[in-house]
Amino acid sequence: MICKRCVLPEHKPDILLNEEGICNVCLEYDKLRQPLNKPLETDFIKLLNTYKSKGEYDCLVMCSGGKDSTSALYYMKKRYKLNPLAFTFDHGFETEEAMANIRNAVEILGVDFLLFKSDFMLEMFSEMVRNDSRAVLCHPCSIWYMDLAFKMAFRFNIPIIIAGWTKGQSTKQPLMSRCGCSVHQPEFYSMAKATNDFLDRYIKDNPKYKNFPRSMEDVLARAKLRQKCVVLSPHWFLPFDSEAYVETIKKELKWKLPKLSYPANSTNCYLNFISVYNSMKNYGYTHYHVEMSKLIREGLLSREEALKNLEVNFSPELLNSIAGKLNHRFNGQ
Amino acid sequence: MNILGVSCHYHDSAASLIKDGEVVVAIQEERFNRIKNSSDFPINAINYCIQESGITFNDIDYVGFYEKPYLKFSRVILNHLQAWPFSLKNFLATMPNWLQDRLIIPITLNKETGFKGKVFFIKHHLSHAASAFFVSPFEESAILTADAVGEWATMTYGVGKGNKIKILREMQYPNSLGLLYTAITTYLGFAAHEGEGTVMALASCGEPRYLDKLKEIVTVKSDGSCIVDERFFGFNKGSRMYSNKFIKAFGPDRKSGASLEDRHRDIASSLQKFTEETLITIARHVHDKTNLDKLCLAGGLFLNCVANSKILEQTQFKEIFIQPAAGDSGGALGVALYIQHSILNNPRRYVMEHAYLGTEYSQIRIKNILLSKNIPFTEFGGEELVKFIAGEISQNKIVGWFQGKMEFGPRALGNRSILADPRNPGIKEIINSKVKHREFFRPYAPAVLEERAEEFFDLNCKSPFMLLAPVVKTGKKDLIPGIVHVDGTARVQTVSKNTNRKLWQLISAFENITGIPVIINTSFNLRGEPIVCTPDDAIDCFQRSNMDYLVLDNFVISRPKA
Repeated sequence: MICKRCVLPEHKPDILLNEEGICNVCLEYDKLRQPLNKPLETDFIKLLNTYKSKGEYDCLVMCSGGKDSTSALYYMKKRYKLNPLAFTFDHGFETEEAMANIRNAVEILGVDFLLFKSDFMLEMFSEMVRNDSRAVLCHPCSIWYMDLAFKMAFRFNIPIIIAGWTKGQSTKQPLMSRCGCSVHQPEFYSMAKATNDFLDRYIKDNPKYKNFPRSMEDVLARAKLRQKCVVLSPHWFLPFDSEAYVETIKKELKWKLPKLSYPANSTNCYLNFISVYNSMKNYGYTHYHVEMSKLIREGLLSREEALKNLEVNFSPELLNSIAGKLNHRFNGQ
Repeated sequence: MNILGVSCHYHDSAASLIKDGEVVVAIQEERFNRIKNSSDFPINAINYCIQESGITFNDIDYVGFYEKPYLKFSRVILNHLQAWPFSLKNFLATMPNWLQDRLIIPITLNKETGFKGKVFFIKHHLSHAASAFFVSPFEESAILTADAVGEWATMTYGVGKGNKIKILREMQYPNSLGLLYTAITTYLGFAAHEGEGTVMALASCGEPRYLDKLKEIVTVKSDGSCIVDERFFGFNKGSRMYSNKFIKAFGPDRKSGASLEDRHRDIASSLQKFTEETLITIARHVHDKTNLDKLCLAGGLFLNCVANSKILEQTQFKEIFIQPAAGDSGGALGVALYIQHSILNNPRRYVMEHAYLGTEYSQIRIKNILLSKNIPFTEFGGEELVKFIAGEISQNKIVGWFQGKMEFGPRALGNRSILADPRNPGIKEIINSKVKHREFFRPYAPAVLEERAEEFFDLNCKSPFMLLAPVVKTGKKDLIPGIVHVDGTARVQTVSKNTNRKLWQLISAFENITGIPVIINTSFNLRGEPIVCTPDDAIDCFQRSNMDYLVLDNFVISRPKA
């Protein structure tokens, strides 16, 4: 049973559908709907001015090679005339297409680029997959990437980190440090708890990861002790839809959509396929369902389009070819 | 070259953007912040201007502010001193605004938008003059501006030629027709800057029995300039704009919501008559002085469509152009145009043929919004849509009509409108009971096919901005009783196929059914609220009213049957 308004399935005890088939998240959204005081671009500019850099770089842009982060990099350089440092990490599962998008973007825009390539996370990923953990693979990965980004920002004395998060990935707070990572929302609760439980248990037993943050909140708390730095996404403040900026980056940055990715029309790493497979198996939905549901509620995406984008149609061979790198094979696949 | 024009801090805040000589966007802040006649710094409007124009904040070359705050401040201080100590309360109430907002425009601009470039400050009435002349179709014309007060000026006239404007003469505070109109509007129990149109409508219900009395307190010279006897007014002395002496002369003031007496109607009628006569005298004087037969009008006073028609009928001017945002919101446009043409010496190449300069929403966005709200709708093809809606209007249904780009200025001109059938003599009561809840004496306006306007109205020119109120022709009044005011006039909008094709098609479809090329067009809002801006606003307004249909682009939402 999927909510008739968004794309979240019933998942007790977090997501419940009422008699009309509408989920509690949608009903809560209706109650809290505040059409006024949406963040404006000038709010973003004010924040950029407030946290102005005294160093060489104005901001550190987390680039995955996807449309949202590539356009974020484009905006910082072209729209706001800043000097960004592009930052990418590769845990060994990045796609060639994503890397090519990043290379094109940084070359065409003429921005400095920092690539951090490491297999540091491999054992943790492997453990999660092999032990059939309910933790979501993407969560520790995001925690690690965010922690790295803060560390790099500190190292280069950069006060602003820019991510390409969409309106579906925000709680409409201008600063990430004010909104937390939304894990307390019902649609994230079970997933976040499973990841937390996994990290608590796993880190205790593995000295290699003894300094690994337990959660995104832990990342923010550590960063706060170290430096004054904010995390922002231009997409939270700009009214443009993704079609508009995809057109721009295709034209100006030679950006290409990968042949294979999940959800459709996105650019995500290979590991994402396993993460999606496990999330669907354990919860019946993924964090992309959460993001797209938010966009639907905001009237920025149709339910039909979201359902189409969220169709899981990748092959078992693909899953096992990725799982092979983690010394795992999915049963029955 | 990108020029941003801004008006704010009094009423009708707005922003406009001129990109390479074209007016790309012009929009009022009230539409975004949902505060009618908002005076706030137009931060939402500015954001929209930049984003809609496809430029960035770094691309703004110049910003223009629609008046000179320090000059205005000098008048305010002097007035307070003259009225001291009676002005103390007003002084204490207004000074924080002056110090925190009105006198620090460049600082506010820098703080709110990051703009550090050149800011031009243009006199208030020059902004009005520019807002009309530079977008008019005239190469050369006389210009007349009038409102309550700018810095010192309350009325100016001059000449526009090519890309230059020369102000020849100005009338100064406290001698102001606009202030007089607003003061008596408040005396009659209606809100300042909002109720003037209501008083204009009320005027037709009375007799000008107080005209002589008005002439005793406002002396009009042969050139139309006037001297206001300040003893009857209290512009700076307290919370009222009129004095006890005025009450002694005209009787007790009417409290808001109290019943209307014949005396109120007669005072409104006298005020309207006085205003018309004075404006006609001035316009004749302007004609004598300029010897030009074209006239541009701007300033809040020229939202008075009855007076505008009288000027056209009773002076030597052959053609008139009135800018649709004639009030202070138009100042944002005027100052940007003045910078573009007079200061930067660029030639004119833009004529304002329509007022559709605001927000617009794509079909897909509207559909997504409807789906996200779980609102049932029917999608029509363009031709089927106008046929269906015209048919429903002819069945006395009230339709919220939301299409294309929003209008600039206070009038809904067919893109954020409520539409109805003018043939029904009782339609006013239906619209009032279902949506607008207006005073019973206020008329609803007609939108007529441009090419058919002369058949129905004594009108020998276009009236695309609903700023003229011609007489409805004898023999036609019975055909369209829903739009005829008690004085036999109607505030007409002529609809051109070139500037609003969809509305034109709808009226044509209505004519095919009824034989009448006229529909009622009133603004899409509830009483006391700004006109709707977004599809969400329109849906919200529809749900809080009893309109029968809401049309968003080609999507039709019906009121659920009770």
